[in-house]
Amino acid sequence: MTEAACLAALAGSDQHDKARACQELVSVGTPAAVPALAALLDQENISDYARSALEGIKDPSASAALRKALGTAKGRQLAGVVNSLGVKRDPAAVGDLQKLALDAKSGVASEAVASLGMIASADATKTLQKILADGPADLKAPAAHAALMAAESLAKSGKPKDARPLLDAVVRAFPEGHLANVAKTQAVSLGAKRS
Amino acid sequence: MNLTRRRFLQTATAAAIGFPTIIRASALGKNGTVAPSNRLTIGGIGLGPRGREDLKSFLSQKDVQFVTIADSQKVRQDLVRVMVNRHYQNEDCKQVQDMYDVLGRTDIDAVLIATGDRWHTMASILAAKAGKDIYCEKPCSMTIRETQELADTIKRYGRIFQAGTQRRNVDNFQFAAHLAHTGKLGKIHTVHAGILALGESHKWLPEEPLPAKEVCDWDRWLGPAPWRPYNKEYVNGRWRGYYDFHGGAALPEWGAHTVDLCQWGASADHTTPVEYEADGQTIYAKYANGVKMVMRLSGFKGEGNWVVPGTCPVRFEGDEGWVEAADTGKIAVSNPKLLEGGAPAEMHGTDPSKHVRDFLDCVKSRQQPACSADIARRGHIVSHVASIGWRLGRKVKFDPVKEVFIGDDEANRQASRSRRSPWHA
Repeated sequence: MTEAACLAALAGSDQHDKARACQELVSVGTPAAVPALAALLDQENISDYARSALEGIKDPSASAALRKALGTAKGRQLAGVVNSLGVKRDPAAVGDLQKLALDAKSGVASEAVASLGMIASADATKTLQKILADGPADLKAPAAHAALMAAESLAKSGKPKDARPLLDAVVRAFPEGHLANVAKTQAVSLGAKRS
Repeated sequence: MNLTRRRFLQTATAAAIGFPTIIRASALGKNGTVAPSNRLTIGGIGLGPRGREDLKSFLSQKDVQFVTIADSQKVRQDLVRVMVNRHYQNEDCKQVQDMYDVLGRTDIDAVLIATGDRWHTMASILAAKAGKDIYCEKPCSMTIRETQELADTIKRYGRIFQAGTQRRNVDNFQFAAHLAHTGKLGKIHTVHAGILALGESHKWLPEEPLPAKEVCDWDRWLGPAPWRPYNKEYVNGRWRGYYDFHGGAALPEWGAHTVDLCQWGASADHTTPVEYEADGQTIYAKYANGVKMVMRLSGFKGEGNWVVPGTCPVRFEGDEGWVEAADTGKIAVSNPKLLEGGAPAEMHGTDPSKHVRDFLDCVKSRQQPACSADIARRGHIVSHVASIGWRLGRKVKFDPVKEVFIGDDEANRQASRSRRSPWHA
């Protein structure tokens, strides 16, 4: 399907046609498709298809559309948008994601935490450390998983010094057990790489 | 105090000493059985027909205690619970619909995951995060990105993972790899992997009324896969062939086995081919060292030009000879002398018993099993890369270190798919 044919399908009413068009736009979508895809982000059942296409479009307009949807999408659709911003590792989304992560009423705090872990910028990792230190109990495990992912990502990108505080925060929040073991093992690995 | 299951059992046994009671010999590890404190406790997630074949192999191991099944469909929960309880002659196996009720149990050491392909990576990641070791049916991933996420997660959490590519532990395939690795075929120049016919459907079956959630939780059945209207055909096992449920245009269905075996035969577990080009239903790939991989049609009815009958055939060719093996357990060689002093007994390629045993031993030893997440990573990526090249209908080049298509944005954009909300890694 050409992009034009996909856009025509998105303008129609058939759910299957819209879904198929979004799947094709994963490969062929350009910034021209962003407005039509953005319009689907709050639609039940089709929102996930639209996110997939927007994740494929590297142009900044795709990330901007997702960020804008943070203010309009609800429930599962909002959770999906939050996840896509993490997948795209959009540093411009960190401020909004921090608010969602720290707002117990947002309904997407754990998804926001996970996305902050994927982005792993300095601001994002500070939020993870804050949650691990004094955040709500039910958010500490998601924050630990996000911190472990962020630490690994930072170590791979040559920033082991930035990874270490995250691992320490995980161990302080979970002094014993599986998560502590994983964090300690990662910390040992960081030490080995430094030497 | 955080008691481990074994510690709990030790404590419980000590506490029971003061009470006169009858303890069965099997519970004490006598009569050739293994005491409960030394058994590995296993939970099942999504066990359909193939999963129940795997389950038979787990149940046959004396050091295994299978304790619970989670499945989105009640009928499958029932089948597994009855099968397990009949085996143990008790009523201890619990059935649940939500896999979190399995992953949240601190007494479970490992899980057997045999859902449809759409769930394999996500369920494995959740299990690793919960601190479980994992035996996961194949194909283990729907996309290149999922393959990477899976292997990275297993490594991060230090879990033991065995991909359900049991042919790495089936005698005739092992013997074929042995001939390749010991130089008896000369220098390996070409490996052949049998694959099913390539294809993918984007159709949606007609919508049917949703069943009661406790009978079949359609939302949970779909999991990370895109939404579509319910139709009972999907949940009755006929989900294969659909793009949303069956990754890689069906190439990984057998490629997870045969491409993986070719990687092994070519001593290429650490890398992947760098070039791929499809010609109809045949895909020609080439490693950086010049070794070729040919992925070509085979099937359930003897399709393709293979010497050895049987599904999932492979062939390794060197400059001094060749060997071919398939699921019938038979083996063919270019020279009968190659079979001297070690030709294996016939063993059917679908029997996972040795593979399961390998997994259980590794859970105990913390060594890597025959098809670890790292090995499965490369084999699965080859299948996914080849299928993307086939879909695009042109040659693609792939960087095995960075694991990206080279200068090919269109191909790279097919390396991942969004997960349906709220599922995320």
